[in-house]
Amino acid sequence: MSITSYNGSALVAMIGKNCFAIASDRRLGVNFQTIATDYQRIFQIHDRLYIGLSGLGTDVQTLYQRLKFRHKLYQLREERNMRPETFASLVSAMLYEKRFGPYFCEPIIAGLSEENVPFICTTDLIGAKQFSSDFVVSGTASESLYGACESMYKPDLEPEDLFEVISQALLSSVDRDCISGWGGIVYIVTPEQVITKTLKGRTD
Amino acid sequence: MHENIANIENSKRAKKKEHANQSRENRNMAMMMPPRLNPTDSASGPKQHQTWSPYDNNGGTCVAIAGADYCVIAADTRMSTGFSILTRDHSKIFVISETCALASSGFQADISALQKNLDARHQTYQHQHGKQMSCPAMAQLLSNTLYYKRFFPYYAFNVLGGLDDQGKGCVYSYDAVGSYERVGYAAQGSGMQLIMPVLDNQLKSASPLVLPKRETATPLTEAEAVDLVKDTFASAAERDIYTGDGVEIVTINARGIQKQYMELKKD
Repeated sequence: MSITSYNGSALVAMIGKNCFAIASDRRLGVNFQTIATDYQRIFQIHDRLYIGLSGLGTDVQTLYQRLKFRHKLYQLREERNMRPETFASLVSAMLYEKRFGPYFCEPIIAGLSEENVPFICTTDLIGAKQFSSDFVVSGTASESLYGACESMYKPDLEPEDLFEVISQALLSSVDRDCISGWGGIVYIVTPEQVITKTLKGRTD
Repeated sequence: MHENIANIENSKRAKKKEHANQSRENRNMAMMMPPRLNPTDSASGPKQHQTWSPYDNNGGTCVAIAGADYCVIAADTRMSTGFSILTRDHSKIFVISETCALASSGFQADISALQKNLDARHQTYQHQHGKQMSCPAMAQLLSNTLYYKRFFPYYAFNVLGGLDDQGKGCVYSYDAVGSYERVGYAAQGSGMQLIMPVLDNQLKSASPLVLPKRETATPLTEAEAVDLVKDTFASAAERDIYTGDGVEIVTINARGIQKQYMELKKD
């Protein structure tokens, strides 16, 4: 079994009207054995910036800890939060540092700029950035997610509609992947607030 | 000291034996070639150049949806090899009878052979029984034909669609060696993983294992099913490089067989 499909994961982020949504599944497994059904893959960096990490669980946690550390230092020095584009560059640089012994993680960065323009970006495991104006996907269910998002996505959706679309896309896709699933968690971030919702899905 | 001399003697004897064995082995090998390990196995030592394969994958995606009194079978028209396109208008759908159509993706040479085989068997049946084969009967025949070549399979991923004996839509999905199941909808080929979740979301049919037994046909109308197929192919063509150029849609219902064609992205 490949190292990137050892724990199983599914991540997706979508852009709406002045908002974005980022969602993940909740399963953590060891090959085909399910270990946890409440695993956290999406982390908050600051109130308008989230990072989701798919792939090997230990690298997910280590990368998050290192990024949290770097951002806190940045906050101390610059006396402000990092912009999403800058953070994406930071993630990319940190991943490329380990070019010949990489973190087995494919992150999704999603944030709202100072002007409330939503930003999403994904990178591969060695830091190649890929920007998108509609959606980005990551994890073992990524092919299914591509198909579902491509069919269901519409630009300029309001937060409530965006939540519906991203939830349906995530649940349909993880149901076709045996190592991701066990529900989902969705963060919808608007300029005023962050809405967190947990999804109930197939528990297999 | 003595052990050392003994060791040297032993090693000399061992070498002679080995040499004799080696030449015997070479002769044996020449007479009877042992099965060649796959070069990519870790057990076979350093990686060797990939040997010739009798198969190729010509890509493509097939979808079928069964309704209460219709069946929609669709496939893209692109045929590719590696990263090149061979042709933009190759039909992957073979209409076997008035109530049955077969869509196959995979290795087109094997698919052509399989279609010819089924056609011949169907014609024989018609001569012997004076009527066309029903779709469930053809489904079983296809399964048997595929399993017949269990140890050198047809590299064909099939979806059979049509009307059953009661006039209801039926779809059968196969793997390469003939394992099949009647379902309400199916997708096969390179775009299968992209399309299946969308069909699940719109059409999720009950598992045949759940009691009481539920209908496998979808509640959609024929026009809605055709629209769904067009949407899913458009989405698959965006993200799958082997799907595109055009989609051929065949509808089988009580009025007969209708064909339509929709353009897809050519990149």
